[in-house]
Amino acid sequence: MRRSGYDPETLSEALKATIDRPLTFMEVCGTHTVSIFRQGLRSMFPEQLRLISGPGCPVCVTSQGEIDAALRLAAKDDIVMATYGDMLRVPGSSGSLQEQRALGANVRVVTSAAEALDIAVRNPERETVFLGVGFETTAPATAVVLEQAMRADIRNFSVLCLHKAVPPALRTLACDPELAIDGFLLPGHVSVILGVEPYRFLADEMHIACSIAGFEADDILLGLLDLVRQVRTDRPDVRSMYPRAVRPEGNPLARESMDRVFGRTDREWRGLGVIPLSGFDLQGEWSQFDALERFGVSVTHAPPPPGCACGDILRGRLDPPECPLFGKTCTPASPVGPCMVSGEGSCAAWYRYNKGGNAQCRI
Amino acid sequence: MQNLTLGHGAGGRLTAELIESIIGTGFSSGPGGDREDCALLPEGLAVTIDSFTVTPRSFPGGDIGSLAMCGSVNDLSMRGVRPMYMAMGVVAEEGFSGEELENIMRSAASVCRELGISLVTGDTKVMPKGQVDGLLITTCALGRPETDRTLGASNLRPGDAILLTTSPGRHGASIAAARYNLKTASLFSDCAPLWNLVEPLLSFGSLRCMRDCTRGGVGTVMCEWSEQASLGIDIEEKLIPRNDDVHSVCDLLGFDPLYLACEGCAAVAVAPEDTEKTLVVLRSNPLGKEAALIGYVTAEHPGMVGMRTLAGGKRLVDMPVGEMLPRIC
Repeated sequence: MRRSGYDPETLSEALKATIDRPLTFMEVCGTHTVSIFRQGLRSMFPEQLRLISGPGCPVCVTSQGEIDAALRLAAKDDIVMATYGDMLRVPGSSGSLQEQRALGANVRVVTSAAEALDIAVRNPERETVFLGVGFETTAPATAVVLEQAMRADIRNFSVLCLHKAVPPALRTLACDPELAIDGFLLPGHVSVILGVEPYRFLADEMHIACSIAGFEADDILLGLLDLVRQVRTDRPDVRSMYPRAVRPEGNPLARESMDRVFGRTDREWRGLGVIPLSGFDLQGEWSQFDALERFGVSVTHAPPPPGCACGDILRGRLDPPECPLFGKTCTPASPVGPCMVSGEGSCAAWYRYNKGGNAQCRI
Repeated sequence: MQNLTLGHGAGGRLTAELIESIIGTGFSSGPGGDREDCALLPEGLAVTIDSFTVTPRSFPGGDIGSLAMCGSVNDLSMRGVRPMYMAMGVVAEEGFSGEELENIMRSAASVCRELGISLVTGDTKVMPKGQVDGLLITTCALGRPETDRTLGASNLRPGDAILLTTSPGRHGASIAAARYNLKTASLFSDCAPLWNLVEPLLSFGSLRCMRDCTRGGVGTVMCEWSEQASLGIDIEEKLIPRNDDVHSVCDLLGFDPLYLACEGCAAVAVAPEDTEKTLVVLRSNPLGKEAALIGYVTAEHPGMVGMRTLAGGKRLVDMPVGEMLPRIC
């Protein structure tokens, strides 16, 4: 598939011809991670390009404590837990939503917050809790649905609001001296909402090249080529190489809805620790929809599973095969950490497309 | 073994483990115990069995009735067995609509009529409300092999051509679209009986094996063949027949068309010299008009499947693990 009009193989040649020294870029978004593997793009990269996977899978950065809180809520009687599909298998300190479902908990997979509200409307005798996970991609949808619920005075609907903001996490990564990132391949979907400006500090203050890219092979290669050019000319910038979807100003309507509904709070990310003002939460009149408050559950810090290196992988410090559990005790069939669970997690992608990380050179 | 999750029913690695642990409790597999969907028995008989449950029960291009017949018919057909007799078990929930049941059975009967299959025995159960989700159909098909050769992955040789009879993923994408309320007016399940399509191939001495790409899709069939034959398979993404609606649904939900279920799409392996001849035969049937050569068996990377992607890169095709779940964004 080619949507930019450029041929991927031509872009790959251009990338090889342009790069003049070893460079480390991070792809922030899990959809990019999977797309890169699915399209076999690594085999088309120049040797001097190191692309590390970042924290851009919402499932993966959900902290152990947050997952435990979701499990405690789902275990309550008369609660329907409506969740995006990829949260089902994430192991908490004990069990997963999928295992709870097998034991009788009412856990339903939805593809939108609106579907969750619909469940609440159709089942007025029960409480429906929506597991609000995701970045600025899914957060606006949660905000819009909460505004609907407020208007319609729907009282059996609440949200476990775990939404997170991407730019604060990028600041944390950019400040990590161990990583020394030369450029960020920025997420296409998140940028549809945010536009270009929220990333400006990365180029201006921190001198890091930034390119927003779409998800087809040519989009990704074009984004990488743009990053190499920014670095070569020493003019870091924030550029959208995905103009057919990302407008410079983003989607102001979606942001306004988020601003009306959400406050900002410090939040723990798996692997990145507590990041100031990186969490969207429900404050003031909106706290009546806060599932934690309604059911008296709290998010407490819980340690990650022993030996699990998801944290270092999400930070880009380790590639998945460098985790001691990878492909041994931790596989997609019985995942230990969330990066092996989610379809968009780095470990699952490395495993699925490399047969445990070592097949790339053999096929 | 661990307690069952839906992933054990999704047709990938977990399903394979479940089957091994069931057989491992003390069964003798007897003749035909080669882990194929259809068992070839002594005295020129062959048998297969399959249970069907699908949500929604009716979908564009078919319903659970046609699905239940096509599934078993295709399992026989892929081993060169002419489907002749059918046994059917119907488990229904108390309160199930009589009209819906009739419609479903009419659709099942029409598949049998098309192929001259008789329904020879069956069983019905009605369960108290809540103890079964609507309707569960089990079909057991019996037939006679129309070839002396045993078709199976162990026949594969390096250089063999891998053909696909139609674009993959239409059944899985139709079900997903219906389940998640995606409007796709032109997307239909490929649910169809494949006996008439593949019967003419049985006279080719060059035919190695055939498989209908049901749960787990084309990707899973390729992986199973390469593992069973201890050979590699290389496929080319650009050669795989493509359905734009399937790709749209996959883009939205984060699915890979290679792993989506098909119910009327078969993979066929033949010796390379008969590739064209086989394609001509397949394309002469409406169900095979998109048939295409998608790759070759190779002695390289035994047990692994590689794919040259549309972008020009190379990737591994591995077995899917667990239930396919729509992604967050």
